[in-house]
Amino acid sequence: MIGGRVLVVDDTAFNRRLLVRLLTSIELETLEAENGREALALLRDPAVAPVDVILLDIVMPVMDGYETLEALKTDPQLLDLPVIVITGVDELASVVRCIQMGAADYLPKTVDPEILRARIGASMSAKRLHDLERETLEQQRRLLATIDRQRSELARFLSPQVAALVSSDDGEAMLAGHRREITAMFCDLRNFTSFSEAAEPEEVLGFLRAYHGVMGPLIVEHEGTLEHFAGDGFMTFFNDPVLQPDHAARAVGLAVAMREHFRELSAEWRKRGHVLEIGVGIATGYATLGRIGFEGRYDYGAVGHAIILAARLSGEAAAGEILIAPRTYAAAEETIEVQPAGDRQLKGFSRPIPVYAVTAIRTKELAE
Amino acid sequence: MSEAVLDPAAFAHLLEITGDDLEFVDELVDTYFDDAVVQLEAMRQAAEKDDAEALVRPAHSLKSSSANVGASTLSEACRSLEADGRTGVVPDVAVRVADCERMFAEVRAALLLERASR
Repeated sequence: MIGGRVLVVDDTAFNRRLLVRLLTSIELETLEAENGREALALLRDPAVAPVDVILLDIVMPVMDGYETLEALKTDPQLLDLPVIVITGVDELASVVRCIQMGAADYLPKTVDPEILRARIGASMSAKRLHDLERETLEQQRRLLATIDRQRSELARFLSPQVAALVSSDDGEAMLAGHRREITAMFCDLRNFTSFSEAAEPEEVLGFLRAYHGVMGPLIVEHEGTLEHFAGDGFMTFFNDPVLQPDHAARAVGLAVAMREHFRELSAEWRKRGHVLEIGVGIATGYATLGRIGFEGRYDYGAVGHAIILAARLSGEAAAGEILIAPRTYAAAEETIEVQPAGDRQLKGFSRPIPVYAVTAIRTKELAE
Repeated sequence: MSEAVLDPAAFAHLLEITGDDLEFVDELVDTYFDDAVVQLEAMRQAAEKDDAEALVRPAHSLKSSSANVGASTLSEACRSLEADGRTGVVPDVAVRVADCERMFAEVRAALLLERASR
């Protein structure tokens, strides 16, 4: 027993009665239509239960088999419905035409019930397979939509560059660790400790929110990879995971933009009696980048000399100062204005390092 | 009659596929009678108007149902009318349609005789 509903479309009562009888004998439900128009009306009627197979006569008044096939195959709701053409013995040419138009099979008008059962069964399995395929495609589409959503959700927690890296093909290799020259930038606030002691906690949080709200978009705009935000400080680097040949100049450009924007923000707070300024350190050098942390909490991070140097320079920087290492200066020389800030003896570095304080970006076009 | 009115093999096939349900076959044959009358009337009208195109569909319909009940000769006559109808020219249309009407009368008689002789 195969089960299912079959629509018989034939203008002669004799053929319909015979087919309905044969279909009923193999336990199929039936519906009848006298021509294509009636058939389409039934198929499109939401009150009529859907059918699994159509048995279609070719020569009919009002709307013949060809017109019906044409209408079925151009209707997105009906085009997958298998159509078996029922024909007389001398209609092979018509059968060929129907199959070219999308009919699944053909049957003679007086057919043995066993053959009818086999052919209808085959058409219905083909349709079920097709439905399954369509369902699978739909599932796949939903899965891809979920991945897309997760990716954009991920991007809210990670740097956009890192989020893109995680979803890319070489993401795993990049996360496993690689060496590259980068420019690292540390930024934190002068007087933040005394401010947070003096101000109300709500005020401190309000300030941090405003501060992050200004700095975050600047980092995105300059395409820096934000490694972390921690209270009043953050570390960002350039040239990884996305390559940026002008990484040193970009880092300095970001620092100058931050200093300018921060002035507007700090003016507000100055009125309330809190003097806050940023101090920035920038250094260029090789670092190892990749997944850092432990199972359950990993960051995309950088380890290396340049990072430590940038952190030390940030610590050295006076209020509103941007201190850069010699390699950064050498790389960004053409686009920035600096003043020598002396040779500094920094913790962890055996020799004094010549340091430069950035005063301005040299040309407007390059600062764009 | 030079040829047999009914092809016993076709009628036997009809019986076989319906699971030898004579009652149902009788109903089916009655349906065939009713339908044939309608198709023959349409063919006669088409012949009167000498409308070849209008002949095609009823001839086609009567051809297939006649074949199913075993009326091979009538079916063949209809097939020929249908084929000519499609070309647009049906020679001796009135005579041939009248022949079909006569053949149907014979088929009907033969089928009823078969039923009565069971």
